[in-house]
Amino acid sequence: MNLQQFFMSLEALPISNFIRSSAWIGAMINVAHIICLVLLFGSVLIVDLRLLGGGLTRQPVAQVAREARPWMIAALIAMALTGIPQVLSTAMKQYYSPFFWQKMEFLLVAVIYTFTLKWRITMADEARVGRFWSALVALGSIALWTGAAINARMIGLLS
Amino acid sequence: MFGLRPWFEWVDAFPSSVALRESLYGYPALLTAHVLSMCLFAGLVVMMDLRLVGIGNLKTPISQIQKRLFPWQMVGMVGSAITGGLLFWGQPMRYYGKALYWTKIILMILAGINALYFHLTTYKSVKAWDSDPVPPPAARWAGYLGLFLWASVVAFGRLTAYDWFTYR
Repeated sequence: MNLQQFFMSLEALPISNFIRSSAWIGAMINVAHIICLVLLFGSVLIVDLRLLGGGLTRQPVAQVAREARPWMIAALIAMALTGIPQVLSTAMKQYYSPFFWQKMEFLLVAVIYTFTLKWRITMADEARVGRFWSALVALGSIALWTGAAINARMIGLLS
Repeated sequence: MFGLRPWFEWVDAFPSSVALRESLYGYPALLTAHVLSMCLFAGLVVMMDLRLVGIGNLKTPISQIQKRLFPWQMVGMVGSAITGGLLFWGQPMRYYGKALYWTKIILMILAGINALYFHLTTYKSVKAWDSDPVPPPAARWAGYLGLFLWASVVAFGRLTAYDWFTYR
């Protein structure tokens, strides 16, 4: 089975047919997905702003990152739970959309980046990391998550 | 609606309005910018409300979250307002009879009133409970209400894309 056939089989699943059976079901899942996106951006940006030298500047970076982390993980899990049904119900549209694949690439890199490099930078001694590298890591994080969100939006608008 | 239809039709006929809605990439670009600025604004508001409710950012004093995130929330709000205004300018007749869109606007006003009321009343005594992990009930209720109202604004904003409850 190649990738195209795999996506065709996803679209033919009973759950996919169920989601497509009413516009309301898909819309409600999409609404939940967007609300989770807001939570995700809030938990990511509160840390990125701190790394950029703004936001909660009286709190140590590590504290801001530790407090935001559970919300970021919760948002990511919820986004996956609401994103997968959307992909299932419109699998062929996603398959043929270059934006879907770009979104997945951005998402993968953003997740790896957030849980490796960015996490290490936030946990490291602030004086040792320095403002330049902190800001650079924050800008990288913003660029990756924004890239994923822009491509996600484009699936619906330009595919 | 309240005799406003001629005004909406007047804007609809503006060359800039026509150019915006007929632009192949302008409209998607605006819509995407609206979503991103909304994520900045509402995302940071949610971070503040989670602290008010007493379930998030508990080691950070409430006054710090309020003061330090406020300028960034305003950047997001201004961005959302500008892009939202342009989206409306491009398709006024699309939004004119849309109950879901007007519900979103009413919810935004209610969310603003909730924030203002909190600042003018409960927040005045913040020094007394600034670092408490669980703030007083009035602050928690403002947080719960803020979370509910902004989530509803986002939800109704997304549902505006559908033609449900649209009256011509």
